[in-house]
Amino acid sequence: MTQFRPGRDVYVVGVGLHSFGRFPEQTLSDLARDAVVDALRDSGVPWTAIPVAYFGHVYYHGMSVGETTLAQLGLTGVPIINVENACSSGSTAFWQAYWGITSGVFDMALAFGAEKVPGGPVTVTAENSPARYIGGDHMMAGYALRMTRYMEETGAPASAFAQVTVKARQNASMNPYAHRKDTYSVEDVLNSRLIADPLTLYQCCPTSEGGAAAVLCAGDALDAHGIDRSRAIRIAAAALTSGNYNGRGSDHSAFSPYRTEPAALQAYEMAGIGPEDVDIVQVHDAATIGELQQVEALHIFPYGEAWQATVEGRTALTGDVPVNTDGGLLAMGHPFGATGIRQVHETVTQLRGEAGPRQVENPRVGVAQCSGAGDVTTVHILTR
Amino acid sequence: MTPSCGRRSELHEPLSVDERCLRLNADDGSAGTLLGMRCVECGVTVFGPATFCQSCSSPRLEQIDLATEGTLYSYTIVRVPPSGWPGPVPYVLGEVELPEGPHVLAEVIDCAHDALRVGMPMTLALRPVAMPEVPDSERVVYKWRPA
Ligand SMILES: [Zn+2]
Repeated sequence: MTQFRPGRDVYVVGVGLHSFGRFPEQTLSDLARDAVVDALRDSGVPWTAIPVAYFGHVYYHGMSVGETTLAQLGLTGVPIINVENACSSGSTAFWQAYWGITSGVFDMALAFGAEKVPGGPVTVTAENSPARYIGGDHMMAGYALRMTRYMEETGAPASAFAQVTVKARQNASMNPYAHRKDTYSVEDVLNSRLIADPLTLYQCCPTSEGGAAAVLCAGDALDAHGIDRSRAIRIAAAALTSGNYNGRGSDHSAFSPYRTEPAALQAYEMAGIGPEDVDIVQVHDAATIGELQQVEALHIFPYGEAWQATVEGRTALTGDVPVNTDGGLLAMGHPFGATGIRQVHETVTQLRGEAGPRQVENPRVGVAQCSGAGDVTTVHILTR
Repeated sequence: MTPSCGRRSELHEPLSVDERCLRLNADDGSAGTLLGMRCVECGVTVFGPATFCQSCSSPRLEQIDLATEGTLYSYTIVRVPPSGWPGPVPYVLGEVELPEGPHVLAEVIDCAHDALRVGMPMTLALRPVAMPEVPDSERVVYKWRPA
């Protein structure tokens, strides 16, 4: 059901981050504001030139946090929209910013997101839900169910999953913003304590806080705003989908990769490219199995083959399709409001050639995928 | 931690954990049936309540009794439980595929960890569960055990 009609070209002209980690002294607004200031500085555009802003976050920290955060930069009176779309809240804010510009309504937009998170396993249902009696409302148990099944169907060994974490930590060790920068061996990962068999602790993303922001601008407005075209990265596609019944509607596992495929196909169609054209990928790796299944859903590798590609180093920084080049959720954690824009930040940084020691050689096309409860999936494609 | 169970159910009618998903037998509250909604137009069946078909959006749905046996599609041994979990730790969580199509997540009981296998036949089991230190919280909960 293709129902998109992009108009003007849209570019990411500035990206910013607040470090990812635990920041008990800082409020949600602090994390968000720091990322916004960083992104505005990167773009060279002043806050007073921004006509609209979209703020992604999930956990409740009072009403209208987007407004109260940006009020600190000056009361300019522009529309500010708070977005809650589960794990894809940040990437949904980015999607809205894109469509606000390509449709012709705005020349520029700010997308930002941040999260303060409680510790412990994440649940998606209310406190008094019958789910609490059933025992199935458990994100990592959902991933573990998928991992057991994937191992059964593909013959993937446990060490292949551990290699996903090993790679993530290697990438993160070169990323000053990452929450977890220590590197691990396959044995370290497999010997960490079991959370839900066969998932071990180091194969699950940490609970982290952080902030991320991006400034977007219409291609026909770049010059008017004095933006450096050599650092502007084009948004070739921005796709957002909800649950799509495709004959597998009874699949129970959280973040089913079956939901990613429709968004991916939509994004490839919009960008006029195919998976074979993709140079770098950021996917939703809340657990190791997530990365393998999401890159398969994006058709980067055929079904059941991502584990082999990982073992062969094809998804490492030096491989033919590097995946989660900044360390992904496995090393950055998953502050829901920030994650999707953090992926955009990394994609932009890589496509600009500004990633320093973790720079991939000459990437031209990057894909960022994020998915969440409610089968919310975003697939964004950026090109140089 | 073992859920306290027993006395209240002797005094009161047992309550289903979710009557839209599990109907208890009128004469024996320790037995019951999982409920699904089947689309009259396209035949797609879902577990639990639905107003419109997930596949074709038809409002013409009929409630059906789901099979009491299925196969284990996947499983995990949960070592770190979700908040509020009233049962033992670790526990086995199983995803069982029913012949009508739906997958139903529930605890797997009466099965040694090393006996778990993808594809093994499973059968429905109902057990009373109460939330520790919560009055009147006992409910009959559906679980799976090896057939
Ligand atoms: Zn139907």
